[in-house]
Amino acid sequence: MKILTTVKKVVDVELNIHVENGAIVEKGLQYVMNAWDENAVESSVQLKEKNGAETTLVSIGGGDNTDIIRKGYAMGIENGIHIDDPSLVKADSFAYARVLQKVYEKGNYDLVIAGKQAQDTDNGQTGIILAEYLGLPCVSNVIAIEVMDDKHIKVSRLGDTGTETVELALPAVVTVDVTINEPRLPQMRGIMMAKKKAINVMDLAALGLSPDEVGGAAPKSEIVEFIAPESRKGGQKFEGEAAQITAQVVALLANEAKVI
Amino acid sequence: MAKVLVIADIKQGELKGSTAELLSKAKAMGAETAVVAIGSNIESLIPGLVNAGSDTQYVADDPGLELFSAGPYASCVVDAAKQFDANLIWFGFSESGKAVAPRVAAQMDAACATDITDVTLQGDQIEVKRPAITNKVIQRVKVNTGQLVAVVRAGAFEATEGTTGTENVIKLSPPAPDLKAVIKEIVSEASGEIDLTDANVVISVGRGAKDQTGVDIVKDLANDLNAGFGSSRAMVDAGFMPHYKQVGQTGKIVAPALYMAIGISGSIQHLAGMKGSKVILAVNKDPEAPIFNVADYGIVGDLFEVVPILREEIKKVRTTG
Repeated sequence: MKILTTVKKVVDVELNIHVENGAIVEKGLQYVMNAWDENAVESSVQLKEKNGAETTLVSIGGGDNTDIIRKGYAMGIENGIHIDDPSLVKADSFAYARVLQKVYEKGNYDLVIAGKQAQDTDNGQTGIILAEYLGLPCVSNVIAIEVMDDKHIKVSRLGDTGTETVELALPAVVTVDVTINEPRLPQMRGIMMAKKKAINVMDLAALGLSPDEVGGAAPKSEIVEFIAPESRKGGQKFEGEAAQITAQVVALLANEAKVI
Repeated sequence: MAKVLVIADIKQGELKGSTAELLSKAKAMGAETAVVAIGSNIESLIPGLVNAGSDTQYVADDPGLELFSAGPYASCVVDAAKQFDANLIWFGFSESGKAVAPRVAAQMDAACATDITDVTLQGDQIEVKRPAITNKVIQRVKVNTGQLVAVVRAGAFEATEGTTGTENVIKLSPPAPDLKAVIKEIVSEASGEIDLTDANVVISVGRGAKDQTGVDIVKDLANDLNAGFGSSRAMVDAGFMPHYKQVGQTGKIVAPALYMAIGISGSIQHLAGMKGSKVILAVNKDPEAPIFNVADYGIVGDLFEVVPILREEIKKVRTTG
């Protein structure tokens, strides 16, 4: 089985984000592998360990994605591809999906595993759009993957009312939730080996794509500005004897907030 | 005139509140409204769809649509959107909506925006607002395609009383089943429970509950208030609460009139899922817990002591009015 895992370099959401004049202030930002993509990498490596597979990760971006690709290597991924092209700076989900479609078509993969969303945009679209572009079956929000045979996998997804079990014919695309696994911490030996491994860097031309085919001058939608959200201020905090303060708060919920 | 197609949010045979919220917003924008209802044995929902504000009802009613399957559901939406010539296609905030919306957008070559909190129309120009980066920024997004498929955040719009539509039922042909993604089973763990994204009051339990005994204490309070019962990720990971009850960026996004965070410290991921609540009450024994930075009312105390008192006091208030 050949597995392709998509990995995005994103802003670290644990740090403060500041907005000025409609844009995010770059100073002080740090970048990491998208949390959901760490689960996708872990899923790929676990499938390789259990069933045998060739694992490849692909990261798209205009800039240095070396660190997150090497992290994938250190976690156990064998091959890394970086699609690096300046015209991808403002790429949206459709553009990412179009690029991934070309990567997929060059590699003849059996399974694509993507994070269900990226923590910078929180869109949750790319993996699903990729499946549509490829005409492949797709299940999103997956929390378990089991290989049935060379041509089928069985997945569980979190649905609206509980757990849905789906049998998928390969090739297929799945997007995974963070609850699917606990990503491993790379060990020193893996980190040292990862430093020596080559990364296959390609631009759009190498994939046979022009800037216009990935949104270019006419994306389907574009961010006009970023706005700082109205910060929610803490209200009244009560400390003291439990019976007294709880009665006080219940009175406020009833008479001031009028919600009980 | 804008033409808004709302995808009816049907769960376990019932029409959920988001459908009326989306149709009310569409009516308030002066749009022509239609709804698409997908499922099996759903004809009885048609009067509710009319009363919620739809002027046309596209109905795909087929035994093959009983279990949710993203491919066939997307086919039904695309079919209705084309017949109605919709320029706005709105899903409520649900796992099925999030799975289907990008498929519909890709098939229609339309723009797609998930988790939107506002939409405006100026002439033909569509703009939306949506939170991103774990709610740390709001994006203002301009749509360039003239057509937008959107998933709307729970509670973003309010259902307006008195909004009604007209009955004009159009039956859709059942779509071909997806032979490559076959649904084998849906274990409906939430059967008979109050839907978190639909509830007026949501009470969530966190690590402070320690174990099943603590969970049950908080659940009793939820039962008293007829509230949705949710959880922080910590209690899901520890196996005390099921996945589908998790409130947060990686789980359910809720916006009830009252949210009670019981024994929850308030990670940014959890806050991202509940900050839209109108009133927040937090109970936590750590006075420095981040949850107090967003709570309207905070009780510093051990939930094992506070929650039983909370139950009694609420009962007293409700009895005496």
